[in-house]
Amino acid sequence: MPKPQPFAILLDATRCIDCRACMVACSVENNVPMDDTRIWVSGPGVFGDYPDLHRATIPYHCMHCLEPACASACPVAAWTKREDGPVVYDSARCIGCRYCMNACPFGVPHFDWNAGLLEQPLISKCSLCAHRLDAGEQPACVQTCLTGALRFGRRDEMIAEARKRIAENPGRYIDHVYGETENGGTSYLILSHVAFGLLGLPELGPRSVNEVSEKVMGTTIPFALGWAAVLAGVSAGVHLHNKRKEAAAQPVEEKE
Amino acid sequence: MRMQVALPSRVDLRPRRLVWVLLGLMGIGLVVAVVRFANGIGAISDLSNTYPWGFWISFDLFTGVAIGSGAFVMAAAVYIFELKEFRPLLRPSVLTGFLGYIMVILALLVDLGRPERIWHLMIYWNHTSILFEIGVCVMSYTAVLAIEFAPVLFEGLKLETWARRIHRYIMPFVILGVVLSTLHQSSLGSLLLIQPEKLHALWWTPLLPVFFFVSAVAIGLAMIILESSLSASAFGRGLETPLLEKLARAAMVVSGIYLLMKFGELAWTGELGLLLSSGSMSLLFWAELILGSVVPLVLFAIPRFRHSPKGLLVGATILLAGMILNRFDVSWFAIRRLTDVGYIPTLPEISISVAIFSFGILAFILAARYLPLLDPQEKTSAPAEIAGAHG
Amino acid sequence: MSDRRASASRRDFLKLGGSSLGALALGAALPAPVAQAARRQGLLDSRGGGVIPTLCEMCVWRCGVLARVRDGRVVKLEGNPDHPHSRGRLCARGQSGLMTTYDPDRVLQPLVRVGARGAGTFRKASWDEALDLTAQKMLQIRDRYGPQAMIFSSTHNLSQTQFENLLGAYGSPNYGTQRSLCFNSMVTAFLVTYGIEEPARNYDNVEYILLVGRNLAEAISTSETGALIEALARGAKLVYLDPRFTKTAAKATEWIPIRPGTDAAFLLAMIHIIVEEHIGDCDFVQQYVQGCQQLPQAMAEYTPEWAETKTGVPADTIRRIAHEFAAAKRQALAHPGWRTSNFVNSFQTERAIATLNAIVGNLFEPNGCLVAASPEASGVNLGKPPQPAYPRITAQRLDGVPWKYPMVPLKLGVFQELRDAILAGEPYQAHGWFISRQNPVLSLPDRRRTLQALERLDFVVDIDVVLNDTGWFADVVLPEASYLERYDPLSVLDGQVFLRQPVIEPQGEARSALWIYRQLGERLGLADFFQYVDEEDYLRQQLAPLGASLEDLKASGRLSVATSKTGEITFNTPSGKIEVYSETLANAGFSPWPTWEEPPAPEPGQFYLLTGKVGQHTQFATQNNQYLHKYQDEPRLWMNMDSAAALGLQDGDWVHVTSPVGRVRIRLLATPAIRPDCVYMPPGFGHFSKALRTAYGVGASDSDLHVTYVDPISGGQALSQTFVTVERA
Repeated sequence: MPKPQPFAILLDATRCIDCRACMVACSVENNVPMDDTRIWVSGPGVFGDYPDLHRATIPYHCMHCLEPACASACPVAAWTKREDGPVVYDSARCIGCRYCMNACPFGVPHFDWNAGLLEQPLISKCSLCAHRLDAGEQPACVQTCLTGALRFGRRDEMIAEARKRIAENPGRYIDHVYGETENGGTSYLILSHVAFGLLGLPELGPRSVNEVSEKVMGTTIPFALGWAAVLAGVSAGVHLHNKRKEAAAQPVEEKE
Repeated sequence: MRMQVALPSRVDLRPRRLVWVLLGLMGIGLVVAVVRFANGIGAISDLSNTYPWGFWISFDLFTGVAIGSGAFVMAAAVYIFELKEFRPLLRPSVLTGFLGYIMVILALLVDLGRPERIWHLMIYWNHTSILFEIGVCVMSYTAVLAIEFAPVLFEGLKLETWARRIHRYIMPFVILGVVLSTLHQSSLGSLLLIQPEKLHALWWTPLLPVFFFVSAVAIGLAMIILESSLSASAFGRGLETPLLEKLARAAMVVSGIYLLMKFGELAWTGELGLLLSSGSMSLLFWAELILGSVVPLVLFAIPRFRHSPKGLLVGATILLAGMILNRFDVSWFAIRRLTDVGYIPTLPEISISVAIFSFGILAFILAARYLPLLDPQEKTSAPAEIAGAHG
Repeated sequence: MSDRRASASRRDFLKLGGSSLGALALGAALPAPVAQAARRQGLLDSRGGGVIPTLCEMCVWRCGVLARVRDGRVVKLEGNPDHPHSRGRLCARGQSGLMTTYDPDRVLQPLVRVGARGAGTFRKASWDEALDLTAQKMLQIRDRYGPQAMIFSSTHNLSQTQFENLLGAYGSPNYGTQRSLCFNSMVTAFLVTYGIEEPARNYDNVEYILLVGRNLAEAISTSETGALIEALARGAKLVYLDPRFTKTAAKATEWIPIRPGTDAAFLLAMIHIIVEEHIGDCDFVQQYVQGCQQLPQAMAEYTPEWAETKTGVPADTIRRIAHEFAAAKRQALAHPGWRTSNFVNSFQTERAIATLNAIVGNLFEPNGCLVAASPEASGVNLGKPPQPAYPRITAQRLDGVPWKYPMVPLKLGVFQELRDAILAGEPYQAHGWFISRQNPVLSLPDRRRTLQALERLDFVVDIDVVLNDTGWFADVVLPEASYLERYDPLSVLDGQVFLRQPVIEPQGEARSALWIYRQLGERLGLADFFQYVDEEDYLRQQLAPLGASLEDLKASGRLSVATSKTGEITFNTPSGKIEVYSETLANAGFSPWPTWEEPPAPEPGQFYLLTGKVGQHTQFATQNNQYLHKYQDEPRLWMNMDSAAALGLQDGDWVHVTSPVGRVRIRLLATPAIRPDCVYMPPGFGHFSKALRTAYGVGASDSDLHVTYVDPISGGQALSQTFVTVERA
């Protein structure tokens, strides 16, 4: 039986009115501290020359990559990619090294910079409301989106829906579903009327950024064993060689 | 062996004022650290979500680990390749490495958000994480260095038997140390592999670990030259110029190899154009290669220069400057950021590194003062030890 | 937002959490009535977790809310899928509602002023003391000066009926709503033309939408904003008139940065073309429109070429839009607008909108885009407690209705005139002001005068959940329970009855308005007018004629009521038709036709001062909400970047904005998104009550700048008619 498709959010930037209901909903649902946010506004806002003006913003979320770099990078495996889509965080493991922040090509995870040791600083990011998914609900942001700019469903269905919108509305969208292939595919898919770069989204290939790193990491154990063997061999060889040399030149004092 | 006990070389602690300065700097760092632990990293640093890693990582981790590489280079030379002539340099190198790694760990304890959980590295394994590998290697290697250094300590404490016992079983630890060093020195480069789209193409390549390893060897050699030169002048000890000259030659060869590989890689991937087209990035790249490789290559190729204590010092310093610049480029300057938020390390931030560095220097001075580290008789005692180790 | 503005430190937030833990422990010891009742309804489980349906009050749209409760605390609000306004969704304000309830600046005990008025010094008092004091002062004023010396003001709350009851029983004619600062021109125009206050909009089949400054993407009505975006996604065209490139403009097919105050010229020209070329719905017009024969002649002078000279919009554009609008016929919609009193001619703008809709026949059921019936009065007859007749009122109203403003409905009033009457002492001197959940200090134009008026009064009492800028000047502040902590009278919408019920216990000593009004009624000797034991008793009496039980309503939050719809279109006007030609207006001495009235224009060097809305706030009431504060943009003065450059100003500069009545200091936003002859100040900021710790000192208030200009027909305050100069601060 084929595995069920992961869930995904489809964001249609043409429908987003930048009302920020999603952000408040997220903050309340996840009890996000007041000086922090898990969703933020990204994009140029108003651009163009008066009166030929345009506007574009998106709520910037965790992309919930299919092959998340954060999970690949984390030294203590605090990040997990769930089969149903969310990339979730185990705060009990986190050591606060912030390598995930470097690894993430989207700049999503962020850190409690102003929390001291007692306040237990942690990494924070969107969890796709995994706890709500478990209860059969939609993520809080999607649930409250007034305009239907955020939609939620199985990833293949969301991609199909996005393709359909592009096909049915020639000229309205850039002909690309951001996240379908980016970084190996994501569970946050974006349709836009302006270039994705303008929205603050990085240009990424179809391979996940962690691919090379993981390949290199995979060679570690064999390399270490091989290298140890070589070193032991060399050591023994050198030792033997020196012994023989010493024996040959026995009376000579050991001096260079 | 007896001789060492009989001749505890009490090096005079001349720079008394320096000790007070170091203590003062450590005190400042301690106060800053208290603020950091009370109010968070943001309270004392300019680090942000755009710059999750900054000065501490570039200086204390990337540079600190690299300059600690002398220990494994010397251990390999003396124990594995049995280049016995380098024995006099072994102990100071191992001590430098040991202190260097303790400094790295101290800095990480400040930089980590949850330092009290550093042991999580040992129990929660993530097989895909380069940082996991580095964490495990650095911690294990620090332990190995402690073992490698233990005989010196035991000798200082007059526990000869213990020292001898450790010496007897040193070889597996040396090999383990070299393997661990190879792994994490190269893996520091691999840390950046996960940022192919952020690290500038002049630096990002799957060969990053190889480059890091090769340059770490050069850095190790240069560090031994530098540290021997400095301690020689500080402690009024005779300089092992002939030995250092050999190291300089080795450094020259390694630098040459490094240079060839760097340009070779760019040529192979067709990115040579970036050498001119990337503005400040091109400048940084040229700067690190000219300082780190080209200049040492040229200088150390001149025998007169190589044989002069001053020449050695200058050459090693320039090499280190270039190679350290490489560590800063890769971990900081050459990384593209996703927002326009800038980063300038704050004075308190730097004071932490300064304090840790001061601790390292002070510990080295104290070790030199109280432990048989710079034993002028070392050369003569060496054969006995080697015999002891391999007998 | 990536700079992640800090509105409160993490520690403050934790402190808030900590205090609630205390409450939780207390709640565990003493089973609280709200939780007990909710448990009985099966809404809460034995551990105090569950979902309780209620109604939002973060604006007046009143979406249905499902409040998630855990251990006596609201933890999340969700839109109720069964409510036609929320349909499962809530806007940013609705989502943040629990922070209004848990606002650390809540007033949780009655306050009595101790220092000078306006010094903001109060002492805590018991309810008995505060209510006795209030009643005593009100009785004193009634005895000395008559009941008309007491002004009552409150706007559009669900408890409004009981507020009006208190005012009627007390016997004052002086009722101040804030509607003249908002939609008087719209309501008055539609009452005159269609006989209803505000027609509903139907976006199901709409193909062509004309929004005249109706910034639906920022002045959010949850369901309507969603419906507009759905319609656009479906391919509907949107023409949007606004001097500012708002978030709605960004979604428009065509944004027309029209010259402020000239919308009527644009619309009259559209009417001119449609009737001249007979491209409207002639059948509908002949059947339902009063004055259809003379309309072409009445509109004859309003050619597109003429309109171009007024609006700055090319005649061809107006002509094309008129053609497109008419071609869409019943699927065309000219939106009535919302906060529409911008210029003294706004009444005419609204009349033109009403006419434009009528002549394309879009009021036809079932597919018409405009529904000539108010959904809030959809034939549901609720009961009410018995009460005697109100005392007869002989005194004139201070706000000039109807003796100065014959067309303004009594329940709208002209709020700004009330303030001026206090100052003038004409036609008589007012002595007291009873204010419930209003903030006239920020809402009325010309704040200096408002403060002078407050100083003139003997007694000011304010009911609110926080100590806002008006409360700052009050003598007594009575803490109302927040909307998540109280019952209110029932809400009727689309043939359904909805309940606002408490989902948590009131914090501190806060009480519902129903309780406060009844307590005051008793102390004023007016107990006969408040014949209900408590809130639940009041609701049971409301439900009695429907034969429904309060318990059922509490469980589901709503009740469907069978209503009869005739399907026939009737207009509650003297002629029974759509009165494009209005005899009533003619009799009052105004033009019977929608007509052009030239608005004033700024001198060189001056700018139109525009006001508007932001999507994160409602009027002046939500700026202290920490969540909304967190996600709002910094309120800055918008100025076209070219105009700024001409003044030597740069984005982010601090500037002084000066009008004939005042001056404010604010940071400049140099942007292409506004006409070069306009500046815009985001509304609702500039709080100076230090008891609002989040909102205090943020931005500036346009009430400091607005000159009081009143539309003589609708009584609306012309909020965009003030002209200002801007210079570096």
